[in-house]
Amino acid sequence: MSRGRSIRLSKNLKILIFVSCTVLALLLSVSVGGASISLWDIGLVFAHKLFHVPLPDGVDRIVPGLIWNIRLPRVFLSFVVGAALAVSGSVMQSVLKNPLASSYTVGVSSGAGLGAVIVIVCGISSGVLGMFLLPVFAVVFGLGTVFVSVLFASRIDRNLDNFSIVLMGMVLSIFANAVMMTLASMNSRHAQQIVSWQLGSFALKGWAVVGIVSVVSVVVILWLTRYAKEMDVLTFGDEQAGALGLEVKKTKWTLIMLSAVLTGVAVAFVGVVGFVDLIAPHIVRRFFGSLHKYVVPLSGLFGGAFMVVADVIARTAVSPSEIPVGSVTALIGAPFFAYVFLRSRQGLASHGSGV
Amino acid sequence: MENLVCGYDGVRVLNGVSFAAAPHEKLFVIGPNGCGKTTLLRALAGLIPYSGSVRVDGADAAPLSRKQRSQKIALLTQLATVTFSYSVLETVLQGRYAHLQDGFFKSHRPSDRNAALSCLEATGLSDLKDKNIRELSGGQLQRVFLARALAQEPQIILLDEPTNHLDFRYQLELMSYLDSWVRQPGRIVIGVMHDINLALSSADRLLILKNGGVFAQGKTSELDLALIDQTFDADVRAYMVRSLGQWT
Repeated sequence: MSRGRSIRLSKNLKILIFVSCTVLALLLSVSVGGASISLWDIGLVFAHKLFHVPLPDGVDRIVPGLIWNIRLPRVFLSFVVGAALAVSGSVMQSVLKNPLASSYTVGVSSGAGLGAVIVIVCGISSGVLGMFLLPVFAVVFGLGTVFVSVLFASRIDRNLDNFSIVLMGMVLSIFANAVMMTLASMNSRHAQQIVSWQLGSFALKGWAVVGIVSVVSVVVILWLTRYAKEMDVLTFGDEQAGALGLEVKKTKWTLIMLSAVLTGVAVAFVGVVGFVDLIAPHIVRRFFGSLHKYVVPLSGLFGGAFMVVADVIARTAVSPSEIPVGSVTALIGAPFFAYVFLRSRQGLASHGSGV
Repeated sequence: MENLVCGYDGVRVLNGVSFAAAPHEKLFVIGPNGCGKTTLLRALAGLIPYSGSVRVDGADAAPLSRKQRSQKIALLTQLATVTFSYSVLETVLQGRYAHLQDGFFKSHRPSDRNAALSCLEATGLSDLKDKNIRELSGGQLQRVFLARALAQEPQIILLDEPTNHLDFRYQLELMSYLDSWVRQPGRIVIGVMHDINLALSSADRLLILKNGGVFAQGKTSELDLALIDQTFDADVRAYMVRSLGQWT
C-alpha cells in the first residue's frame, strides 16, 4: 500500500511542477518583448487593473496599455490555442491508435485553409460578421472536410476502420489543398496574405478573439475529459474496445468531431500551427503514463505553455520584425517528429512484430 | 438450462449456423480458413450485425445494450499490438468499463479496483501490477488480457485463437485455467482454434464449420474423427498418428 501512495504523491508533485512551470512561462512571456517589463511592474499593473490600486509614479504610462491590450491577449490566445491543438492531438491519437495522428490527419487544416483562401481571394465581406467572416468560413470548411471524410470512411466500411479514416482524410486534404493552391495561384496578388495566414500569428487579435477561442476551447476540453475511459479503451483497437462494452462507431464520431472543433477554431483565428498536437501528448505520456484522465488535461497545459514560449521566440528572435509562430513550432517539431518515428520503429523491432 | 443458439442468415459468411452449449462446457469451433469461425465469434459478441438469434440463459441477447452484453460475454483475441504504455493494473481495470455507472466523470469505484486486483491474483499477475505492458513478454501480455476479460465478470468467454504466437507452456496454462474457470455456475467457453490438437485435447464439444455452414457437431468423445479429414480435405489423422509415433 505504501508503495502505491508514494507513486501517487510523486504524480501529484509532478503535476504541481508542471503547473508551476506553465504559470512561470506565462508570466515571463508577458515580461519579455520589444520593451521588457519587470515582473514587479506586471504585478503592479495587475493590481491596478483588477483591484484599482493606484499605479506608483515610477511606472511608465504606456506600460499598462502595453500589458493589457497587447501582451496579455496575445499570451492568453497563444496559450488557449496551444492547449486546444494539443488536446485535439491527444484525442485523435487515441481514436486512430497512432501516436503520430492529429486533427490535421483528417483534413481540418486543409479544409480551413480552403475556406480562408476563398474569403481572401473572393474578397467576400459581410456587415454582420465583419472581421469574423474569415474565421467562420475557416471553421465551417474545416469541420465540413472532417465530416465528409469520416462520412466517406463509414460508407466504405461499416466498421469505421482507422485505416479508412486516415485514407479518406488524406484524400480530402490533398483535394482541398489542390483547390486552395489553384485559387491562390490565379490570384497571386493575395499570395502574401494567404501565406501569412497559413503560417499563423497571434499578433494583434484583441480580447474578443481571445474570448471566443477560450470559451469554445474550455467547453470542448472539459467535455472531452469525460471521455477519458473511452479513449483508453480505444487505444487497444476497435474490436477489443467493442468487446469491452464501448459503442465504438458512435464514440469515434463524437471524439473526432469534438477534436475537429478544437482544431478548427484554433486554426481559424490564428492560422495553421503544427506540431504542438504531436509533441505535447507525447511528452505528457512519458511523464504521466497513457491514462487519458491525465493525458488530456495535461496535454492542454503543456501545449499551451509550449505555444506561449514558441510565440515569445517568434516575436523576439529577430525583433522588431517577427517570425511566423508556425515556423518556430515546426523548427522544433520536425526533428522531434523524426525522433518519435525512429524510436517507435526501434520499439517495434525489439518486440519482433510489425503493425 | 442455459442454452445458446446462434442463427446467422443472409448472403454472409455464415449461413444459418445453429448450435448450443451447455453450462460448464468448453466448445471449440474448428474448420478450414475462411469458413467463418471468427465471424461467428464476432456475431456472438455482438460486434457485427447478424440476423437470427443469440440467446444467453434462454434470453435473447439482441435487446441488450453494448455494455450489458459485455457484462455477459468477454472476448479474448489474438495478441494485439499495444500502441501506448499502460500499467498492468490500468489495463485490467478497463475490463470494468462495462460495469461503470453513468456519472459525469464515470470513475472507478473501490469495488471495481478490488475486482481487477482479484483477477490479477487469479492470473498470477499481482507482482507485475505496476509494470508497463509494453515491457511484458507475449505470454505475460496475453495473461493481462485474460485478466481484463475476467474483470468483465462474464458468463461466457469467447476465444479467438488466443494462443497464436505463444509457446506451449502458455497454451497449456491458459487451457488449464479455463478448465477451472468454466466449472463455476453458468459459465461457458466458446473458442476458435487453429490448432486441432489443442481443440481435441481440451474441448468438451466440437463445432465443425465448413463453407459457412455446420459440417458436424457433437461431444468430442462421440464425434467421428474421420469427419475432420473431410473437413480439411486432408489426411489429418495420418499426420497426427505419425506425429504421435515420434513421441512414443
